[in-house]
Amino acid sequence: MKILVIEDEKGLAESIAAHLQKDGFIAEAVGTFADAIEKINLYSYDCIIVDLNLPDGVGFDIVNALKKISSSTGIIIISARDALEDKIRSLEIGSDDYLTKPFHLSELNARVKSLLRRRNFGGSNEITYNEIRVNYVSRKVFVDNTEVALSRKEYDLLLYFLSNINVALTKAAMAEHLWGDNIDSTDSFDIVYSHIKNLRKKLTDKGCSDYIQSIYGIGYKFGEK
Amino acid sequence: MKLLARTNLYYIFFSAITYILVAGAFYLVIEYVVYQEVEKRLVVERHDFENFVGAHGMWEESCYFVENKITLSALRTLEPYVAEFKDTALYDRYSAQLVPFRQYSFPATIGGINYKVSIRKSLIESNDLLMYITGTMLILLSIGLLLLFLFQRRISKTIWKPFYDTLSKAKSFGLTKGKGLTLQQEDIHEFNELNAVLDKMTTKMALDYKNLKEFTENASHEIQTPLALISSRVEELIQQKNFTPEQMYWIENIHQSTLRLSRLHQALLLLAKIDNGQFYEHEHINLTSVAEKKLAEWEELFLLKKLAINIESSGNLVVEMNATLAEILISNLIGNAQKHNLPGGSITLRSSAKNLVIQNPGAALSKDPGQLFQRFAKQNQTSDSLGLGLAIVKRICETYDLTIEYTYQAPLHTITVSVPS
Repeated sequence: MKILVIEDEKGLAESIAAHLQKDGFIAEAVGTFADAIEKINLYSYDCIIVDLNLPDGVGFDIVNALKKISSSTGIIIISARDALEDKIRSLEIGSDDYLTKPFHLSELNARVKSLLRRRNFGGSNEITYNEIRVNYVSRKVFVDNTEVALSRKEYDLLLYFLSNINVALTKAAMAEHLWGDNIDSTDSFDIVYSHIKNLRKKLTDKGCSDYIQSIYGIGYKFGEK
Repeated sequence: MKLLARTNLYYIFFSAITYILVAGAFYLVIEYVVYQEVEKRLVVERHDFENFVGAHGMWEESCYFVENKITLSALRTLEPYVAEFKDTALYDRYSAQLVPFRQYSFPATIGGINYKVSIRKSLIESNDLLMYITGTMLILLSIGLLLLFLFQRRISKTIWKPFYDTLSKAKSFGLTKGKGLTLQQEDIHEFNELNAVLDKMTTKMALDYKNLKEFTENASHEIQTPLALISSRVEELIQQKNFTPEQMYWIENIHQSTLRLSRLHQALLLLAKIDNGQFYEHEHINLTSVAEKKLAEWEELFLLKKLAINIESSGNLVVEMNATLAEILISNLIGNAQKHNLPGGSITLRSSAKNLVIQNPGAALSKDPGQLFQRFAKQNQTSDSLGLGLAIVKRICETYDLTIEYTYQAPLHTITVSVPS
């Protein structure tokens, strides 16, 4: 799947592209409005990630241009401006999501995947990882066809893990994903720990292998050891 | 009091004084003229009398006419009687009432006897004349003043109209519209000047506001971008496997500090935005239900921390405010209540139509509760909280004229947000 990253801060653009590539996406990065317009006219993308403030233009105009060319491309806006008007406007002109900088790469990754899922690019309503199967329409989780009852947050956490296989996730990123950014870090770490404990127990109880590995001092990683 | 009402009032007041003064003066002048006339005739009659007496050596009552009565009375003393005028009233047998007369008394010697002679002249016609003239003049004066009053009211209204136009435009001026007032050119120089000054002021204000807003947003952009870069690079770094635990610890520290810096910056920006009045859209917000929703949203967190939630609601606190700020206000307060709670403690939410109370048990305060509303004032300086939460809460409350009060009565911390009565 092809993703275009439009971001004028070179380092950040590289980071985003590299992170997405690691996850199997074909990600390209451009730094100017003109380059972005050229790219979207030449190629088709499944998703674009647009920064609102570009040296030679405004991200909104790229969204408008893209909507005329291809309406099926998913659009995620990233902006340093945490202004409500910008969020509302970006949704009004047809963007799918809005992320305020700074954000966690794992969060962006999860948002991209969720967007692609919503647009049903894979043609299926399920995500599978070895013996784990998640139906994201009915929000049900199965381990080898046995249903696992998860709480809402545990489900969100599992989906977040499945969007970031083999990626080291910080506790802060997980807490923010689950609770938004208005929660204090120390508390959120406790609650992340508690959710992970519950999720791990519920999955292994149904015979699932333990994919959740803790990384000392940092957080957790989901994947085979 | 309105400008026009005030000018009308002044006008009426001065008209009334003028009216009374003019009426009085008029009456006195006419009365004076009438008296002069009557007295002149009385003096002429004295001459007639003296001529008659000089010619005949006697006075005969019958030889004179009815109206101007002349009476003689013998004087006991021989001192010469000084001539004098005075008012008197005599009974008139036809109209059966007292009739005013002007009387002229003077001494005369007839046949060797001293007399006091009094000649009287009726004032009744003169008085009628006086009344008619004065009355007519006063009616004319009233009509004149009334017309003048209506006229000046009309003129005031026309003259002050541009002023009222300007006033109504100035009232509807809002900074957030991004431009100054556009006022019309007027015929009157002073209003033109006023409009020009207002134009200049409001345009400058709107421009300053816009600049400040842009600066805030640009500053936000400029600082958040490098922070985003640091944070994403650190995230990439932790994907590497060959770090020692010590290095990992350092990296995590960098990561934490970056996030903290970003949160701090966002909080300061939020304060600046509130101060600049950039949250101008507002609606009816039911703070009670916002708080109840927040409590439900964080239910799992409370379960984990074993906090009991009590809700005692006897009414909803509804405030006209910005939805985003309402959300921030409530989440900061509830966030504090859970953060500074005791293990196994509780959070109590009490609400009525007048106020909203959030109460939780907690450790004793080391400083005055009021001080905690200041920026960077923290109960515990080493805690990793930003120390801006309550400052933001306070600013939000001030923006919407809400009263906020923090009291501590061991072990309960109570925050009350109330609408002014």
